[in-house]
Amino acid sequence: MTDPVYLDNAATTPLDPPVLEAMLPHLGGLRGNPSSLHALGNAADDAVEAARAFVASLIRAQTEEVLFTSGGTESDAIAVLGLAWSAPPEKRHLVVSSLEHAAVREDAKRLEREGFEVSWIGVDGDGLIDPEEFAAALRPDTALAAMIWANNEVGTVEPVREIAELCLERGIPFHTDAVQAAGRVPIDVSEVPVSTLAMSAHKLYGPQGVGALYVRRGFSPEPIVHGGGQERGLRSGTPNVAGIVGLGRAAELARQEMDVRVAHERGLRDRILAGAQTIPDVTLNGHRERRLSNNVHLTVSGVEAESLVLFLDSLGYAVGSGSACSSGGHKASPVLLAMGCAERDAFSVVRITVGKDNTAAEVDGFLEAFGAAVAQLRELSPHYAG
Amino acid sequence: MPDRYTPQVIDHLVRPRNAGEIPDPSGRGESGHEACGDVASFTVGISGNVLEEVRYKVFGCAACVAAGSALSELVAGKHLVEAARVSKIDIQDAIGGPLPLGKEHALTLVLDALHKAFEDHWNRTAGEMLLNGAKMPGKGGRSVVAAMSGGVDSAVTALLLQEAGYDVATVTFRLHDGEKGSRSCCSPDTVLFARDTAHRMGLPHFTLNLKELFNRRVMHDFVGSYQEGRTPNPCVACNAHVKFHASAFLADEIGYHHVATGHYARGEEGPTLGRPVDESKDQTYVLWPVPQELLARTVFPLGEYRKTEVRAIAEERGLAVAYTPESQDICFIPDGNYRRFVRKKVTAEPGDVVDDEGQVLGRHGGVVDFTVGQRRGIGVSAPTPLYVKEVRPSTGQVVVGRKKDLEVREVAVRDLNLFLDPGYAACVQVRYNSRPVACSVEETADGEWIAYLAEPVMGVAPGQSAVFYTEDGNRVVGGGVVARRAA
Repeated sequence: MTDPVYLDNAATTPLDPPVLEAMLPHLGGLRGNPSSLHALGNAADDAVEAARAFVASLIRAQTEEVLFTSGGTESDAIAVLGLAWSAPPEKRHLVVSSLEHAAVREDAKRLEREGFEVSWIGVDGDGLIDPEEFAAALRPDTALAAMIWANNEVGTVEPVREIAELCLERGIPFHTDAVQAAGRVPIDVSEVPVSTLAMSAHKLYGPQGVGALYVRRGFSPEPIVHGGGQERGLRSGTPNVAGIVGLGRAAELARQEMDVRVAHERGLRDRILAGAQTIPDVTLNGHRERRLSNNVHLTVSGVEAESLVLFLDSLGYAVGSGSACSSGGHKASPVLLAMGCAERDAFSVVRITVGKDNTAAEVDGFLEAFGAAVAQLRELSPHYAG
Repeated sequence: MPDRYTPQVIDHLVRPRNAGEIPDPSGRGESGHEACGDVASFTVGISGNVLEEVRYKVFGCAACVAAGSALSELVAGKHLVEAARVSKIDIQDAIGGPLPLGKEHALTLVLDALHKAFEDHWNRTAGEMLLNGAKMPGKGGRSVVAAMSGGVDSAVTALLLQEAGYDVATVTFRLHDGEKGSRSCCSPDTVLFARDTAHRMGLPHFTLNLKELFNRRVMHDFVGSYQEGRTPNPCVACNAHVKFHASAFLADEIGYHHVATGHYARGEEGPTLGRPVDESKDQTYVLWPVPQELLARTVFPLGEYRKTEVRAIAEERGLAVAYTPESQDICFIPDGNYRRFVRKKVTAEPGDVVDDEGQVLGRHGGVVDFTVGQRRGIGVSAPTPLYVKEVRPSTGQVVVGRKKDLEVREVAVRDLNLFLDPGYAACVQVRYNSRPVACSVEETADGEWIAYLAEPVMGVAPGQSAVFYTEDGNRVVGGGVVARRAA
């Protein structure tokens, strides 16, 4: 079987060969623990610190403000749970956007169960947060505010700078999940006053299972795991040296190549969008301009998402589905519902995300397969009138 | 673990068999709902009981698409009886094994849609038959349509017949809208459960929609009786007009000879009904209105068993129904609150509670709240307990008296259905679960029977059944409806 055409880069990206090459020395043979005093330990520590500098440079942070974690979800948890838990006892209020990835949403729900009050900030039909509405929800007892930098489903890029500044003015810690944004959107934490920022290696052509958390100097989240005190005591445990080295190299390449990659992705994205929209009753979700360079999120009326994804898979195209069907009926995406999407349409969404290595020929092949799959599934659909 | 499908599922997804819709079908069925993400619809073309064409459409996950496609392939070209035998396990086998966890409902969904299409076919075929209860002649063969409610009695009935060598087809009736499914998108759980039970035994299963017939002949009469001061017996009305007629209809349609139910009664020569082995479960009292020509083709396997044995059989054969609780109430009033049910259907006018002399003792909220023999809820205090003796809808009066005032020695019976020569009538039973009382019978000019009772009986209510038995009390001579308390 030939490799499928991979158009699900928001789920994970291919491991870039130079990244793999950088990692390989740390995967085999004799290697030290960065905490050890001997030369092998020092070598491992040097590799980790070099990677830290590359990651810091991608987001224009101070090197020591970057911590390594097991990925985006852990980074979000350390920031959200840790900042809420470290807030003064009278601050029991959170402001959270309804666009959050489950990693933040579920942390906020957990805090809600612990007695925090959560103000969930709604979005407009394009998935855009209104800074005024966000500001209006901030209170003197707000312990933490959180908003995703760019939504992982519909790809809308949010007004992070305004909201971070609003929070700064009021002295409220602000966390952003930049897992999808990093490497696609210029991020400069020296300009944008976020308190914490989460990122992940495998969305940047790096390895799975490793991520980073930016923690601005002066912020001390309560640790959620305890042990040897690695990573400023915020993420105890021997670090994943090979993974971190991979993340560092991936971050370095992302910084160097960002403009080229973004321009390339945008061309492919717009080609897919133009082609898909020649099919009737196919509509784009998310903001048309303020969106990630690689994201096309579509509602395909009359077609159930899982069937479409598997149909395309059988034709050699890997794309993402926007809903999960289970025995209790489908579970509609909370993000789509927050955007005002009708429940029945929420089962008919597909996410196509391109990457730096995709080609125009792949996109054209995909569009042909997409048209055929949609036509056949609509033919099968009992209520699609066409 | 993410959902993982077999290659067969993907094959059906990409190349669905029998996709589409028959423009002018013999039957059409749909299950599911777009708001819950899955909809399956089937259209069938049936000729001479053969499923000549089957087409399906699905909006749903790959599991639903594949299950529908595979099911259509399994049943296309088959005789209806064979198609109705195809089970969820058969579909599962056809798609290469179990679906991923959480997707199993796809099997239920598509099977339910196909069965609704069959049901629609029967309803179209039956036309007025299922509304009026007219019947058709039976045919030959050692074959039987067994009514299946989802409970233990009817399941064991089907099982015993199968083990006795009959060709068994099962049928479940949709009688009213009171039954809710645990999923709003499919048939009620009792229907799905009965289908699963039948399929686990390898038996074909059909559903018939008798809601209109049941409403007309049973529920309407139930409410009307209270309005007219009579005491209804909905099980009797159902046996008189619905259950046996519908079973016989299906038997005739598929060329089966017998019908069977899970009643505790015996078929006796005559033909007539005989008391079952388990006298505590005796249901002959509610079976008297079954027309004799239908009774002639009915089998009651449970007449030879005790209820404890039936449960033991179910348990031994691994029928899940063995653990279902006994149903006692009227099926369309699951909470047992008859008064509230009736009051929802009719407006009640307050009236007087009076004694035998017509003296007003108090007020009541409506005659529909009362039946003869009732003691509770009269709302009049008296030195001795008072009972409802008579309900007079025309004047809105409820007549009450002491217990002794309710005793009768004569009962007038109309609408008789006779199995044996009237000369055999030696005793009469006027209530469920009571002993028959010796009587002599006199026929009036207008065809009513007056039963002269050897001993007084309490609380004989107009509308209730009076069933006559032979001298040994074991065989039903015939039955009818209590018209009034004779003088």
